[in-house]
Amino acid sequence: MNTDRPPDTVRAYLDALQSALKGASPGLVSDALSDAEEHLQNELASNPDRSEAQVLASVIETYGTPAEIAEEYRSMEATLQGPFPKSEQTPERHYGFFGVISDPRAYGALMYMLLSLVTGVFYFTWTITGISLTAGLIILIIGIPFALLFIGSVRVLSLVEGRIIEGLLGVRMPRRLPPASAADETVLARIKNALIDIRTWSSMLYLILMLPLGVAYFVIAVVGISLSLGMAGGSLFSLLTNHSNFQIDDVPWLDHLLHTAPGLVAAMLFGILLFFILLHVCKGIGWLHGRIAEALLVRL
Amino acid sequence: MAEESQYTRKFRKELMAGLSSLVLLAVLARAGREMYGYEIAKAVKAEGEGGLIFKQGAIYPVLRSLNTIGLLDSRVEASAFGPPRRYYNITDDGRQALNDWQGAWKDMREFVDDALLAGGGAVHEHRPSA
Repeated sequence: MNTDRPPDTVRAYLDALQSALKGASPGLVSDALSDAEEHLQNELASNPDRSEAQVLASVIETYGTPAEIAEEYRSMEATLQGPFPKSEQTPERHYGFFGVISDPRAYGALMYMLLSLVTGVFYFTWTITGISLTAGLIILIIGIPFALLFIGSVRVLSLVEGRIIEGLLGVRMPRRLPPASAADETVLARIKNALIDIRTWSSMLYLILMLPLGVAYFVIAVVGISLSLGMAGGSLFSLLTNHSNFQIDDVPWLDHLLHTAPGLVAAMLFGILLFFILLHVCKGIGWLHGRIAEALLVRL
Repeated sequence: MAEESQYTRKFRKELMAGLSSLVLLAVLARAGREMYGYEIAKAVKAEGEGGLIFKQGAIYPVLRSLNTIGLLDSRVEASAFGPPRRYYNITDDGRQALNDWQGAWKDMREFVDDALLAGGGAVHEHRPSA
C-alpha cells in the first residue's frame, strides 16, 4: 500500500508483507506471515527496553523489507515446484487411466468423501445452531460473550477442516489459527473486527455448504463403491459357483446375458472399469473441493 | 553502506540460493539439538560477519523448503507469549546431504579459485599482445 513509509508496527509489517505476496498461493502467504510474525515477536521480546517502532526499524535492516521477504518466498516456491528432487510428495506425477489405482490422492479423496457426510452434518448443525442462538441472545447481556465464543468455534472448526483437507486432499491449508486481535481490544471491538472480517462469513458459508456437499460426496462414493465392487464381486462369485445371482426382470436380454459366462465376465470387467472411473471422479472432486476450501477458508 | 549495482545484488542472491541450505544444515548439525527460527537466525548471524549478506528473513523459506524435502524435521510448539514457535531439527538424510554438499562446496571453491587465479593471469598475458 504505502511503500514509501516503512512499517513501524508488527501489524503494519505483516500487512505490507501480505500485500507484497498478493497472488501467491494462500498456503504460502500464511507460511510467510506466520514466520515473519514469529520472528518479529521474538525480536520485540528480546528488546523490551526499545519501542516497537525502533525495533521494527532495525528489524527491516536485518530481517529484510516486506518486498524482499515476499521475493524470497516466491523464489522458494518456484524452486520446490521446479526440477528439484523431492524425496516425498511428487504432486505432478502423471498417472495413466489405470495408474490411478496407485495414486494416494484418489484414495485420500475417497476417504474424504466418505467422511464428509459426518463432518458436513456436524458443521451444519453447529453453525446453524450457533447463528440462531447468537441472533436470539444478542439482545441479552449474555449474547456478546456467546457471539465471541461462537465466532471462535467457527475458526477452530475451519482450522480442523483445513487440517483434514490438507491430509486427505493434499491442498495446502493454514497450519494455525489466524493471529488473534490485540489483547487490549475491547470485547465489542473484537466482535466488530470479526464481523467485518470477510473470512468469518466465508468460513460459516463453507461450514453450511458442507452439508449438501457432504451428502452428495458420500452418495457418489457409496454408490460408486457398491456398484463397482458389487458388479465385479457378484460376477466373480456367480462364475465360481456356476449360478448367476443377477436378476433383472425388466430387461430380459440383459437378464439372459448375465446368465451366460461371457456376460458375467463382461459384467466383472465393467465393474472393475467402474472402480477406476470412480477413482478418477474422486480425484476430480477432491481437486474441486480443495479449490472451494481454499477460496472460503484461507484468509486472503 | 555503498549501493551495489543490481547485477551484483542478483549475483549475490544466486550464490546464496544454494549455499544458504548448506549453512543452515551446518548450523543445525553443529547445534545437535532442535532450534526455532529466531534462534537459528541469531546463530547464523554469529557464524560470521554475514549479517547483511544474508537477510535473516531469507532463512525461514529455506528452512521450510529443507523441511519439505525431508532434510529437516519440524514441529510447532505453543509458546507462553506471542505466536507458536516452529522447531527444526536435522534428519539423517539431512546429515547425509550436509556431508555430500560439503564435498561439493570444496570442489566448487577450488574450481572457482583456480578459474579466478588463471583468469587473472590470462588477462595480463593477453593485454600486451592485443
